[in-house]
Amino acid sequence: MIKLALYGKGGIGKSTCTANLSAALASLGKRVIQIGCDPKADSTINLLGGQPLQPVMDYLREHDDEPDHIEQISKIGYGGILCIETGGPTPGLGCAGRGIITTFSLLEELELFKSFKPDAVLYDVLGDVVCGGFAAPIREGYAHDVLIVTSGEKMALYAANNINKAVKNFEDRSYAKVKGIIMNRRSVENEEEKVRAFADGAGLEIAADIPRSADIIKYEDMGKTVIEGDPGCETAKRFFALAQRLIDEDETNE
Amino acid sequence: MKNASTIIPCYAADTSGVCSALYELGGMTVVHDASGCNSTYSTHDEPRWYDIDSMIYISALTEIDAIMGNDERIISDTVAAAADLHPHFIALCGSPMPMMTGVDFDAIAEEIQQRTGIRTFGLHTNGTRSYIEGASEAFLAIVKEYVHDCPKTEGIGVNILGATPLDIPWNTTMAGIKKWLADCGFEYVSCLGMESSLEEIKKAASAKVNLVVSYAGMAAAEYMLTEFGINFVTGLPVGEGFSEQLGENIREAAAAYEYGCVSAEGMGFDDSTGKCTAVIIGESIASKSLAGALRLDAGIDAKVICPLPADEVILSDGDMALYAEEDIKAALEEIKPELVIADPLYRYVIPKESRQIELPHFAFSGRCFGSRMPDLTKIDIKEFLK
Repeated sequence: MIKLALYGKGGIGKSTCTANLSAALASLGKRVIQIGCDPKADSTINLLGGQPLQPVMDYLREHDDEPDHIEQISKIGYGGILCIETGGPTPGLGCAGRGIITTFSLLEELELFKSFKPDAVLYDVLGDVVCGGFAAPIREGYAHDVLIVTSGEKMALYAANNINKAVKNFEDRSYAKVKGIIMNRRSVENEEEKVRAFADGAGLEIAADIPRSADIIKYEDMGKTVIEGDPGCETAKRFFALAQRLIDEDETNE
Repeated sequence: MKNASTIIPCYAADTSGVCSALYELGGMTVVHDASGCNSTYSTHDEPRWYDIDSMIYISALTEIDAIMGNDERIISDTVAAAADLHPHFIALCGSPMPMMTGVDFDAIAEEIQQRTGIRTFGLHTNGTRSYIEGASEAFLAIVKEYVHDCPKTEGIGVNILGATPLDIPWNTTMAGIKKWLADCGFEYVSCLGMESSLEEIKKAASAKVNLVVSYAGMAAAEYMLTEFGINFVTGLPVGEGFSEQLGENIREAAAAYEYGCVSAEGMGFDDSTGKCTAVIIGESIASKSLAGALRLDAGIDAKVICPLPADEVILSDGDMALYAEEDIKAALEEIKPELVIADPLYRYVIPKESRQIELPHFAFSGRCFGSRMPDLTKIDIKEFLK
C-alpha cells in the first residue's frame, strides 16, 4: 500500500499537490484515501467540487458521542477518493496537534483501513513538524514515506530543511522516511538550481517538478484538480508521472 | 455537560487497571505522569500495596519535559532503573498530559527495549478511560508475549481471567473461586489478575477452558480462543444455582470442539420478562452472575445497569449500558425497582422508594468500603437479600 505524507511550508501548495496526486492515483485505478491534517480543513475541497467537508473535530464538538461509521466523518470525492479532514480547534484556543492524534485514534477504532481497503493513503500535513501531533502521520502504521513540497523561495527551503531534520530525528523509531522533494515552482530566479542544491545537500531526490501554471488556479476556482479539469495538460502529466512511479515502486516492494 | 458526574464518583482509570493487572508479575510498570507520586495508582486503587512488593514507578514528568517533548528523560531513567531492578518486563503507560502532547509509547518502548534487552510494552492509557480498558490491554499484552502452546492438563484445566482486586475482593474471593473450581473437580492452572506468577501464566495454554470473571479478561480470552482454541465461559460462582450452571458450562466448554463463549445469557436466563423487581449496577460479568443467582436462588428478575465497557455477549436485551450519571438516574426513576444492588456511593442517585443493598466495588469507591466487600462465592442469596 502507498502510504505517503506531504509536508512543507504553509502556503507552498501541499494541498494542491496532495489532491492532484490523489486524483492521479484514483484515475489510474487505485482506491485512495486523503486525510487533511490542518485546522483550515481545506485539503480535500478540490476533490469535492469545491464543497467543504465537515472536519472530524467539528463533528466531535457538535456530538456527545463519537461517530459509529466512517460515513459520518467522510465524503467520497473525485474518482471515489475517500476524503477526511481532521480540522482543529477554534483559532487561538485548544491544541491542533492533539486534534490530529484524536482523529487518527478514531480512524483506528472505526477500522478505516480494514473496511475501505485502500491502495493508497495520503496525509496532507499542516506547515511544519511543530509538535508531536504533527508527527503523528509519520508514526509506525501511518505514512511510510514523506514527500516535502518546496519552491525555490528561501523560507520554503528553510522549512523543508527543518522538516527533513525533524524526520531524521526519528531514525531510531520505525517512523516514515523522507522519500524526496516535490518542487512546486513559483517562478523564482534560478529556482531549479536552488532546490537542487538543497536536495543534493540533504541527500534527497526531486521526485516531481510541478511547473508554475495558471491551470491549477483556473480549476481550483471551479473546485477541481487539474487531473479532473484537464488531464492532458502538462501539470496533470507531471502528477500522473509521479503517481505511476509510486504505483510501480509499491508493486515492486510487494 | 453529558457524562459529567455531579454526585457519584467515576470508576478507577485505565492507568490503575494496568498497574493492577501487572502488579504481581515481576515486571516494572512506569506511568508517565507528573509529580512523582504514585499513590493514586498504587495505594488508593491497590489493596495489595502494603503486603506485596511491586515495581510501580512514576516518571515525574515536568512542564518543560512535556513542552519540549523530552522523551529521553523517561527513556534514560527507565533504562537506569531497569539495570538495578532486573524486571521480567517493562510496561510503559500514559496519563492525561502525555495524551495531550501525543507521546508515542510504542516508539519509546522500542527504544528502551533496544537499550536494555528487556521486553518492553507500550500501553495506551491516558487516564480518561476505565480501569477495564487498561487492565484488558495489559492482560492481552502479557498473554501475547508469554503464553505459548503447551501440553494440555489431564483433567479440565481452568484459567481465571480478569481477577484484579479492582473487581474481585483480594484475599477472600480468589480463594473462594479456587476452592469452587476444586470442588467441581477442575484443575486450576493460572490467574490473570492476582495470585499467579508470570511462570504460572506461561503455562496458561495448557488449560482447557478460560473462566472470565471480569470484562477486563475478555480480550485475553478471545485471543486465547483464536490462538490456542481454548473456549471460554463468563461468570463468577455466585449462589447455588448459578454456580452449578457455571460448572456445567465449563464442563461443556471443555468437551466441545470449536465452542467459543458461554455467557449468562447462554445459560438460559432471560432478564427481559418485564417483571423486573431489582436492578444491579456494576461491572458486567459480576453483575450478570449475581442476576443469575437472584433468579435461580430467589426467583427475582434483575436488570443490570453497566456503566463500564461490556458487550452484547454479556448483557441481555433488558440490560442497559449507561455511562452518564443523568442516564443512570433517569433509568432508575423510570424502572422504579423495589431493590437496587450497587456500591454504597450510588445511594444518592437511587430513588428514595427503592431499597438498596450495598455491594462495595473497589474500582468505584476504593478503600472507603473495601473491608465491606463480600466474598460473592460464599454468600447465601436469601441471606444477602435480607
